[in-house]
Amino acid sequence: MNKTEHDTATTSAVGVSLEGIDLSFGKTHVLKGIDLQIEPGEFFAFLGPSGCGKTTLLRLIAGFESAQAGRVIIGDQEVSHLPPWRRKLGMVFQSYALWPHMTVRKNVAFGLEERRVPRNEVKERVEKALNLVGLLDLARRRPSQLSGGQQQRVALARTIVIEPQVLLLDEPLSNLDAKLRVQMRRELRQLQRKLSVTTIFVTHDQEEANSTADRIAVINDGVVQQIGTPMELYDRPANLFVANFLGVANVVEGSMTEENGKVMFHSSDGAVVVSVTEGNQGPGSIVFRPQNLKILSQDAKPESGTMQLSGTVEHREFLGGVVRYQVAVGGHFILVDAPHQRGETAMSEGTPMTFCLNSDQIIGLTQ
Amino acid sequence: MRVISACREHPGQTAVMLLISIFLLAFLVIPVVQVVFVAFMDATTGEFTLLNFKDFFSTALFRESFWNSLYVGAMSVLVASVFSMPLAYFTSRFEFRGAIIIQSLGIIPLIMPPFVGAVAMLMLFGRNGSVNLLLDQWFGFTIPFMEGLNGVIFVQSVHYFPFILINLSAALQNIDRAMEESAQNLGCSGLRLFRRIVLPLAMPGYMAGASLVFLKVFDDLGTPLLLNVNNMLAPQAYLRIASIGIKDPMGYVISVILVVIALSSMWLAMLALRGKEYATVQKGGGGLAKRRMRPWEKVFAWIVVIAIMSLVLAPHFGLTLLSFGTIWSFSVVPDALTLDHFVAIFAETPEYMTNTVLYSFLAGLIDVILGTAIAYIVLRTKLIGRQWLDYTAMAAVAIPGLVIGIGYLRTFFGYQVPWLENQSFATWWVAIVIALSIRRLPYALRACTAALQQVSASLEESAENLGANKLSTVRKIVVPLMAGGILAGFVTSFATAAVELGMTLMLVSKNSDGPLSYGIYVYMQSAAGRGPGAALGIVAVLVVGICTLLSHVFIERRQRKYAMGQTD
Repeated sequence: MNKTEHDTATTSAVGVSLEGIDLSFGKTHVLKGIDLQIEPGEFFAFLGPSGCGKTTLLRLIAGFESAQAGRVIIGDQEVSHLPPWRRKLGMVFQSYALWPHMTVRKNVAFGLEERRVPRNEVKERVEKALNLVGLLDLARRRPSQLSGGQQQRVALARTIVIEPQVLLLDEPLSNLDAKLRVQMRRELRQLQRKLSVTTIFVTHDQEEANSTADRIAVINDGVVQQIGTPMELYDRPANLFVANFLGVANVVEGSMTEENGKVMFHSSDGAVVVSVTEGNQGPGSIVFRPQNLKILSQDAKPESGTMQLSGTVEHREFLGGVVRYQVAVGGHFILVDAPHQRGETAMSEGTPMTFCLNSDQIIGLTQ
Repeated sequence: MRVISACREHPGQTAVMLLISIFLLAFLVIPVVQVVFVAFMDATTGEFTLLNFKDFFSTALFRESFWNSLYVGAMSVLVASVFSMPLAYFTSRFEFRGAIIIQSLGIIPLIMPPFVGAVAMLMLFGRNGSVNLLLDQWFGFTIPFMEGLNGVIFVQSVHYFPFILINLSAALQNIDRAMEESAQNLGCSGLRLFRRIVLPLAMPGYMAGASLVFLKVFDDLGTPLLLNVNNMLAPQAYLRIASIGIKDPMGYVISVILVVIALSSMWLAMLALRGKEYATVQKGGGGLAKRRMRPWEKVFAWIVVIAIMSLVLAPHFGLTLLSFGTIWSFSVVPDALTLDHFVAIFAETPEYMTNTVLYSFLAGLIDVILGTAIAYIVLRTKLIGRQWLDYTAMAAVAIPGLVIGIGYLRTFFGYQVPWLENQSFATWWVAIVIALSIRRLPYALRACTAALQQVSASLEESAENLGANKLSTVRKIVVPLMAGGILAGFVTSFATAAVELGMTLMLVSKNSDGPLSYGIYVYMQSAAGRGPGAALGIVAVLVVGICTLLSHVFIERRQRKYAMGQTD
């Protein structure tokens, strides 16, 4: 134990690759040809709405589900047919799954005892793990005597004590209240950095994924929609689903045409015409974020490189930091966020509004 | 393809399932099928025939027995409902101190099967019983509580009404307060509220209890036999087999009718509930809103509770008097008190007690092992046909003990136990143990299944994730967490096996093999044996009562210790 397990973890961090995973429960096709490559030491998130298959994918990696086709490779070993107890993965369950008939110490020691680790080493490593999550004082308690956040930490300690090759987290923060969730996700991130263990994090909360993960795979309907860093996904969504799932987006549908070497977008009703930097000819849509729109005075001249639109305020919501207007432009409803300054009054419903948007903030998506 | 691969992947699980299937097939399915088969078979030619049933319905005595059994079943449900409804209403609707008494005393009749207290009830309520002697002395009239079928109905409903009470109270407790409040908000109140909202919502609980009472009463052999009422179905079947022999088809015909009626009463209860999802407690919901009673309501409630509770305790009270009394005939209470009866049973027939402990312990053990294994196979594996294991084991609920007994005699009488001379397997004590375990398996299985359902699957998965294999997970996580349920299953099996009579009467071939229930029956046959019989009854009640109490305390304590919000 002179050489700490943190060092060994750094050197031995392994990658995970999923190749052509296909899985059905009866007639429900849950995972449809998933291909993924997770780098050693990476904090990777599966993000998607409930029912998209992200938890099933995680359980498949852990060995609790078996796929009809495809391979799961951890490091350089294929584990597709190994039972869960031989995969050397640590999983933290959504419900924590702490055993109520064992004390905190017993819970944490379980994995080591199953591995026939010598008794004095078990004691040492359990204490170290509990220390790491700051719960050494509560080792004699039973899970039922702990708060939600403490239970979460025990679940983490129980998992990291076995020095898993890969750490799997199944919505670990969903049972905590909002404030604790923010604190725990920071701790989780710090712990992962410290241990340098490859980590897969399942969540349906984009903020959680954005704030913790190095890279995210957005999953919907059993298919990986896009993989990238949080900012890539936000700035360059590959499709409408990703654009809408990460943050609020205005979507205008229409078609792209090439004119004088530039790609032009025409909305289907002709109300919106704008040049876009990306996209091919054919039907498509443009996406832009409410906070990138700038409200102009009524008689402002159009600036070059911007798209200028006018409409009527239909509805407004005060969100604290911003006022979100829903503006009717032709047949479209565009959301416009205006930062709120103290003392300012919001525009009332029914008043006309002109606003503009820099062309480089427009995302063009071809279907 | 996948069936074969599933079996190959889990050879251990497959082997266990196969063993259990063979056990159920040999000791439940084949004997029962045998009984049905014989009922439809011509005794001489061996061909299929409906003649046996025609004979049955053309015999006046059998027709009478059939209607009597239906009548007694229905009337017992009715009387039991009359006992239960006010008690359930008081406990769920009012802040009422009597609620605790109702809840705890309500369990007492279930500890003792009706036949044990039947003779004691005769002493208290019979034509020359204490109550009628006093009535005659003071007012010059008597009430025929115990005359003929009345006696059976009276004894059965006093014993079985808790089934309705418990189910009905639980159903009332599960009604979301908001259901009632929204009705009040819309202008509905009082009795109308009770009739239109509360009662319909509680109906599933009532139906569950009522069908159980009907089933128990319809199948019961011991109570009519001890009250000497023979013109009912179960006694007729027993008497035919006992007097004419196992060749006589009428016993089998009656068995088939008993099973069919039992199944259809369960089916009817299910049909009445189908498509009605009544689990209405939402987040933060509680039972019905309770209010304080007004003084006159309180007086009325106490009168009702005390009246019903004294009926509940009557068999126990009577049995105690009988067991300690010297001679009790044509008098309100026995002439003098004595301990002789207890001395007699421990000195002369200790085997009744040792046999009971041995049989019930073994039967309970078999039940929890089978129950745990079946529950695990059904809930945690993907083996093909696992549901059928559950259905088959549960089907034993609908098979009266008498029918199992007859089936065992018919099926196993020809088989000799190899190392014992002149010992047919059907009348060997081991057959009694197996029959007891088959008959009580449904209770143990339900207890084990409920216990396993409460163990979140993620608790097992996390153990597997941390390196424990299936066997190790079952041993260290599943069984310890199920322990409460397993114990509850064991105690239920043990306690109810100790007082099973219908089946034991068929299978016990000599007194030295008999358990308590058999001993009580044998003693109670003669007036002189009533004292020792009652003493045996008291022993049975104590054994069952103490076991139930201990397991209850143990389970409560565990639940408090482990209580935590497992979300899924």
